[in-house]
Amino acid sequence: MIPCTCLVQEGQLSSSTESALRSKLDGFAYESFGVGIDINWIEVPKTGGFTASKPSTSSLVLIQAPAAIPQDRRAILLEELCKGWAAETGQTLHEVVGVISDPVAA
Amino acid sequence: MPLYSCNAAAGAISEDAKPKIAADITRIHCDVTGAPPTFVHAFFFEDAPHQPLSGKTVFMFGRIRGGRTDAQKAQIIEEITASIHTHAGIPLDDIMMLTDDTPAKWVFEGGAVMPEPGEEAEWLAKHHSETAA
Repeated sequence: MIPCTCLVQEGQLSSSTESALRSKLDGFAYESFGVGIDINWIEVPKTGGFTASKPSTSSLVLIQAPAAIPQDRRAILLEELCKGWAAETGQTLHEVVGVISDPVAA
Repeated sequence: MPLYSCNAAAGAISEDAKPKIAADITRIHCDVTGAPPTFVHAFFFEDAPHQPLSGKTVFMFGRIRGGRTDAQKAQIIEEITASIHTHAGIPLDDIMMLTDDTPAKWVFEGGAVMPEPGEEAEWLAKHHSETAA
């Protein structure tokens, strides 16, 4: 299993959208890395999220790859991840931040 | 990115204080690094288990793009901590703040892989033109 943190604004996404995103992320992890995903879904409390000093509508998805990956592949995966999230939620790509990190060195 | 995640004891930071601190975070980060405000996220939580307070009243964690100097990071920490102290009235000793570097090339924001520090203007011009096209 690889760790994934999703930070979303409270009340912005329905429970059915959350379920669809969880399923999509699970599929993404298996197709991209051949492993399962452990999702930590965190809602930013209403009135607690700001982007550029204004109330935020942004979602952040942070995934740790199981092994270091080349940058050209990472770029492709990041685009797939963020476009898939945006398609599911109706958010624009300006409202979606994706991070695919290499594992922390032991 | 950056993402400034602030966890605080329940009620320690008022609703009025949050937008003021968020505005300060945005201004401070942009002043110190030259990054555009559109990249700056500030999220406030209360008693959040994912970011333990470890005996403090506030724990601010800044996930920033790699490439900033130690002096820049120290200035960011000093000024954001002071902002929390000023707007929330929390003693400086009760505020903990750390930053962590994330390589820009690991981050996708605004429809593209993020630029390295110092390359934002070119990135924004290119991306804006693509968006407008």
